[in-house]
Amino acid sequence: MWVVRPAQPDDLGSILQIVRTRGRGLSSTLPRDRHALDERIALSRRSFAGQLSSEQFSTYGNGRFMFVLENTEHRKICGVSAIDSRAGNGEPFYSYRRDCLIHASRELGISRRVEVLFPSHAITNRSLLCGFAIEAELVGTPAFQLLSRARMLFIASHRHLFADEIAVEIQGLQQPDGQVPFWDSLGRHFFNMDFKTADEYSAKLSKTFIAELMPPSPIYLSLLSEEAQRAVGQAHRAAEPACKLLESEGFAPGCYVDIFDAGPVLEARTDQLNSLRSSRTKVLDSNDHTGGPDYLLAAGDGIRFRATLGPAKEETGRAATSGDARERLNCRAGDALCLANLIDESAVC
Amino acid sequence: MLIIRPLQNTDLDALYKMTQEAGKGLTSLPADRELLQRKINRARASFEGRCEPEASLYLFALEDTDLQRCVGISGIEARVGRDEVFYNYRVSTLVNASRELDVHVRTPTLNLSNDMTDTSEICSLLLSASHRGGGNGLLLSRCRFMYLDDFRSNFSEKIFAEMRGVSDGEGRSPLWDALGSKFFDMEFSEADVLSALGNKSFIAELMPKYPIYIPMLPESAREVIGRVHQNTEPALSMLQAEGFNYNGLVDIFDGGPVVEAFIPGIRTVRASFTRPMELLEGPASLDVPVSERVMVSNRAFADFRVTTIPAAWVTPDSVQLPADVAAALRVKAGDELRLAPLKDLSPNGPRDEAEPEQTKFNRPLREE
Repeated sequence: MWVVRPAQPDDLGSILQIVRTRGRGLSSTLPRDRHALDERIALSRRSFAGQLSSEQFSTYGNGRFMFVLENTEHRKICGVSAIDSRAGNGEPFYSYRRDCLIHASRELGISRRVEVLFPSHAITNRSLLCGFAIEAELVGTPAFQLLSRARMLFIASHRHLFADEIAVEIQGLQQPDGQVPFWDSLGRHFFNMDFKTADEYSAKLSKTFIAELMPPSPIYLSLLSEEAQRAVGQAHRAAEPACKLLESEGFAPGCYVDIFDAGPVLEARTDQLNSLRSSRTKVLDSNDHTGGPDYLLAAGDGIRFRATLGPAKEETGRAATSGDARERLNCRAGDALCLANLIDESAVC
Repeated sequence: MLIIRPLQNTDLDALYKMTQEAGKGLTSLPADRELLQRKINRARASFEGRCEPEASLYLFALEDTDLQRCVGISGIEARVGRDEVFYNYRVSTLVNASRELDVHVRTPTLNLSNDMTDTSEICSLLLSASHRGGGNGLLLSRCRFMYLDDFRSNFSEKIFAEMRGVSDGEGRSPLWDALGSKFFDMEFSEADVLSALGNKSFIAELMPKYPIYIPMLPESAREVIGRVHQNTEPALSMLQAEGFNYNGLVDIFDGGPVVEAFIPGIRTVRASFTRPMELLEGPASLDVPVSERVMVSNRAFADFRVTTIPAAWVTPDSVQLPADVAAALRVKAGDELRLAPLKDLSPNGPRDEAEPEQTKFNRPLREE
């Protein structure tokens, strides 16, 4: 069975493997370097424990949270996901805002709509879902949903740690040969390097570091290659299942796109997320309940947070689940249990 | 005899014919009688002091006195960007550097600029095909520098010229196709005609205001930025010989360069000198090679006249003119005349142009 819990130091090797094999699928949101990832896990631990130093607090806000998906039978890590409490982590978070200007001349009786990409920091300091990666064969399964939505349940039970608005960047269009049309038409000119190289730097340094080298002025869409124009706001095929799941949560593409590959930035009001609106917190009963459909279940504060899939029986103010689920959640009768219905898989994948 | 004098109403027919003759290759000067008449009106008002110095347009005719016909014109716009907005792109450099990434990339960028506002422009040079060669193009162009210097207070100290950019035989401009046409659904030649009719600043208002990163343009467009049309090369070398230099600005439509110079530094201004006139008695032949001729000006504001004479007529303390030349210049013995070499003395100077010099004739007209 599956459990989602905060990443811990001995998960390092497993996470590295997932991050590295997923390669570009992850973009730069999790480090692919052992040392950097180790530090990130340590930062995540302190964030869950509410033990950030004042310096860390001023940079990362309430912190950067990293979760792993563990197969409890094989004690194997099969996925990873994360939340940054503030996008940009103390630095500007760069996006392009797709906007339009009307170029009009009264004298000539002409009016034209001109599409422009404006550099924007608007997403900065919103909360950000990031770092999602899962073994390919699990895509579309309940475990996939658990890994992604456990973050929403964590937010639901730790609402004060997060901003009122939340966003997630979806990987943009990439051709089978690895070329990224948007990068080739724009970013490449300013770096003299292909997307893969820039992406590696981005993972090693910071995304903001690379973003600051991008052209400071707005970009006219009509001056990009046709392939690049078409790529603006388009999700990578491999990111579609994740994208659909987030849309069922209430995320929607707005006017922001990634500055490197023009993938869409999905946005939502935190309190309007489906998991936040539909989840309910009950007192856990001591009696066992087995059978019936699985629910998303979550329990535990901070570093003790766990989420899993399991059966549930709800009564007013109280709920019961199986002994196995209670064990996975590491909780007992009288503890608070957060429940949410699974989304119909067919609607997601 | 060929003489420079202010453009007159009676020149309309000849001017119209010349613009027709120039045809498709010079769409920036359309054969439009009404437009040409307005230009003449404005030039008349300028020479006669009926309009503000800053709003003036001085147009000079090259008259063949034997034919009694105007065979070329050239002009000076006293100030640009007064009634309309005068646009150029400035070609500037954006450097993108990072030691950590081992990146040092220079990105040439086009920035929209109004930097030429309130500057005097030399413009509107057109020479009839029948009179090309023989230094006539040089005379049409260079006579203006003597006028600029003699009436310096009417002009800015900096003078510029917009040079025609690259376009093909069909009048297609690679820069327009890659840039302007994306914002303005029109062929370059049409836009150019609209410009000449006085709509350039309107068109400019439809053009992109934010910087254009040149590497994002196709190669065909990149390579014409700052380059002149093949037919304009002689004009460019003539102006370069006068001390004009590319100032980093280009035309927003075709990418043709802007060249500029300061009046005191212009070669013709520096090489010029004055002599009192004396009447030359006896037989005198004007028929000497271009290299042995000098320009002579009467230094008159309202009835500015210039012609070329054999250098031999200039003595250490006078310039000797036969009666017919003196009459054509409207000068008399004792008048202080201004002289300057017609041709460059340096071997690297411009060749005697086979093709006409073509600067742009695209200043929006003002209703008068």
